[in-house]
Amino acid sequence: MSHDTHHAPVACKTELAPERSDLGLYRPDRATGWTDWLTTVDHKKIGILYGAFAMLYFLIGGVEALAIRTQLARPDNDFVTARMYNQLFTMHGTTMIFLGVMPFSYAPLSGTFGANGQALRFTGVGTDFWIIGIQILGIASLAASFNFICTIINMRAKGMTMMRLPVFTWMTLVTAVLIILAFPAITVALIELMFDRSFGANFFNPSAGGQPVLWQHLFWIFGHPEVYILVLPAMGIVSEVLPTFTGKSLFGYPIIVFSGAVIGFLGFAVWSHHMFTTGLGPVPTAAFSLLTMAIAVPTGVKIFNWLGTIWGGRIRFTPPMVLALGFIWMFMCGGFSGVMHSSAPADSQQQDSYFVIAHFHYVLVGGVLLGLLSGLYFWFPKIFGRMPNAPLGYLGSALVILGFNLAFGPMHYLGLAGQPRRTHTYHAGNGWETWNLVATYGAYMLGIGIVIIFGNLAWTAFRGKKCGNDPWDGRTLEWSLPSPVPEYNFAQAPVIATRDAYFEHKHGSKKIGAESDGGEAGVHMPSQSWMPLLASTGFLFAGFGMPMMAMGVPHAGWVVIAGLAVLFLGIWLWALEGPGGYMLKTPAPSGAPAPAETAAH
Amino acid sequence: MSDTAAAHEAPTSTGIDHKKLIMWLFLASDCMFFGTLISTHLLYRKLFPAGFTDAEGHQRFIQDLFSIELTSFSTFILLMSSFLMALAVSAMHKGQIKSFRRNVLGVIIFGLIFLGCQVFEFTHFYHKGLTIQNSVLGSTFYVLTGTHGTHVAIGVLWLILLYFYSFTGKLGGHMGALDVEVAGLYWHFVDIVWIIIFTAVYLVEYLGPYGIWGSGLPAVVK
Ligand code: HEM
Ligand SMILES: [Cu+2]
Repeated sequence: MSHDTHHAPVACKTELAPERSDLGLYRPDRATGWTDWLTTVDHKKIGILYGAFAMLYFLIGGVEALAIRTQLARPDNDFVTARMYNQLFTMHGTTMIFLGVMPFSYAPLSGTFGANGQALRFTGVGTDFWIIGIQILGIASLAASFNFICTIINMRAKGMTMMRLPVFTWMTLVTAVLIILAFPAITVALIELMFDRSFGANFFNPSAGGQPVLWQHLFWIFGHPEVYILVLPAMGIVSEVLPTFTGKSLFGYPIIVFSGAVIGFLGFAVWSHHMFTTGLGPVPTAAFSLLTMAIAVPTGVKIFNWLGTIWGGRIRFTPPMVLALGFIWMFMCGGFSGVMHSSAPADSQQQDSYFVIAHFHYVLVGGVLLGLLSGLYFWFPKIFGRMPNAPLGYLGSALVILGFNLAFGPMHYLGLAGQPRRTHTYHAGNGWETWNLVATYGAYMLGIGIVIIFGNLAWTAFRGKKCGNDPWDGRTLEWSLPSPVPEYNFAQAPVIATRDAYFEHKHGSKKIGAESDGGEAGVHMPSQSWMPLLASTGFLFAGFGMPMMAMGVPHAGWVVIAGLAVLFLGIWLWALEGPGGYMLKTPAPSGAPAPAETAAH
Repeated sequence: MSDTAAAHEAPTSTGIDHKKLIMWLFLASDCMFFGTLISTHLLYRKLFPAGFTDAEGHQRFIQDLFSIELTSFSTFILLMSSFLMALAVSAMHKGQIKSFRRNVLGVIIFGLIFLGCQVFEFTHFYHKGLTIQNSVLGSTFYVLTGTHGTHVAIGVLWLILLYFYSFTGKLGGHMGALDVEVAGLYWHFVDIVWIIIFTAVYLVEYLGPYGIWGSGLPAVVK
């Protein structure tokens, strides 16, 4: 421990008298309820907050999607105006990626599609807010990524070598590396755009020689790694779920890890496949075509490894397993259409048509969303100590998978039959009517499935049946902990001797050891603080003030200055608060972590 | 905090301190950041080697603008500041707080001189007719060098904070040396980036009669 606390270990923080920080103010350390949630530094609580917000935004993005599909259900429909339609699909993409998928897979990130070179075509101040919004999320993601990488490579338990890490952790690591290397490109692009819009610079201004195509390049240099940023965590989740429910260890662990890293690496070398139709010239077009085809190889390798994992296993079709199997299948279909438009001549037919919509929904919904839902359901009993209702779980998963295929399968056909994307309506007589109607029905079915899954989880969180600590016969360390996981995580730092450590501990000969920590009775807990909240509020105000300044709102400059001042004040005061912290008593004073309730099997 | 604090600090899996690791990660990210800005500038230089048109409508070359003597001087100053920074870090490791303060003060002053040169340069260029609005060159040049200047300014502020913090007596031991070392990493990085900018933005413009981009100049302008 880097410093001493004045207290003997306690069983619960509320037993301690309130304590002042170096600033002389009381720390919100002993708080419970709202104050506790607003000032928490417990990553598990922060995760729950992220998850709850992500679900909310998923629902909002879903309503936007259903409005789009309702409009497209019939030819010449006027359910929404063309203007409204534009706003709907832009907001749908942004909401889903930024606020739905990203917080889910781990931290807020930023939008990929729907913004394909589009920001340049936007007018009005909406764009300025959009720019600042992405910048804020970008900075937040960068900070989170530094933290993740540092945690993963620097704070591993004893014996947890890199090649013993759970694959989910590995994929998180690769994702975080992608984020820190890909985000600067979009940050610079947005800064340049901001200078163009607010200060009359000419980065993308054609009348002064600026090149709008530069925006597209910068956007996709970030944008393609971003699609892997989205999908790698889902791949990691599936690599945890499959072994658990087949009772086998992951087939070809080193190859899965290696292909994940290769995907991350190649992800930086294929961005121009989004720009084949801008006329890159024959050599770059050929090169980017080849590289795009090449990136399908490590992706295919992973699919074969997952199949190898299932092969010969004793499969238990639990809801998370159903979703994970759905992931493999649907993601593979998305990969197939991806390889199809890696061929530039084919892509020039497909670009901006519904075929591309089908492709990226197969990878994003069929892939990322199914993977995330699987993980959510899988770890839910660990987070809340309660087991979601299984029949509802099956029903929701089935509706999601079926509805999804009904909604997006026909879009392949519609795209090849010429239906353009981002168009608010179409005339009858093109042969598009039937499949558009089917797609709309499918979308509603998907929506109902999502509501059932979320509803089931929300209900379970408060009322669900209590379950043991290891309901799935889990393989990794977290299943050895009580559910919900106590604030201090591990009472004793574990010592690991193998991959799938907990499974081996239960069924094999290699037991999990415990590190003796010099006889200290308890775990040191960090102090809570109001300052991060203060700093982020300042950040938000500064973010809102900047586009307002560009709009010429009077005194908006002061809002920015005040916001930045509050931001720095928050960070500064946080640093001045001093270390603080307290000791929490832990139950098992010695020996290996109690293999809690392994009697389940 | 005393040196015993170091012994209490939990060892990391890789042996690299968390703070230092995070700084390295940030610098990796910042590399991509500057890389993108520098590429933007160079791409546009290749496209528009002829420079810019000033307020009177005269075609101006970038070499008309640059005062390479001044920029070489400020580059030299920044290099020397890195040297002082290295001395400050080593002093901190040896626990020589007085020597640390002297050296860090030197870094701060050199950093301020560099910033002063940049402010002078910007106003000078502005009066010669290069603005952010009147050409792509203006946009890329000011945004690139301005971003670098902002990095230097942040570094100077950070060092000023460390300097004053050292008087509270809390900057000491292993952790104190680490704090200084991390600031030093940042400072050296910003310095290296400047060397690259100085080469790619300034020096190459002097290769050949019309700079390295000159071969792309339309015949009339030549
Ligand atoms: C891994 C998950 C993947 C995601 C999340 C993803 C996402 C996307 C998105 C959002 C677009 C739309 C671009 C636009 O706005 O026009 C797109 C297009 C594209 N994707 Fe994927 N993709 C993935 C995998 C793949 C794979 C495996 C390949 C090829 C092997 C691929 C190749 C392409 C190509 C070539 C395009 C350009 C299509 C066009 O614009 O005409 N993608 N992808
Ligand atoms: Cu791509």
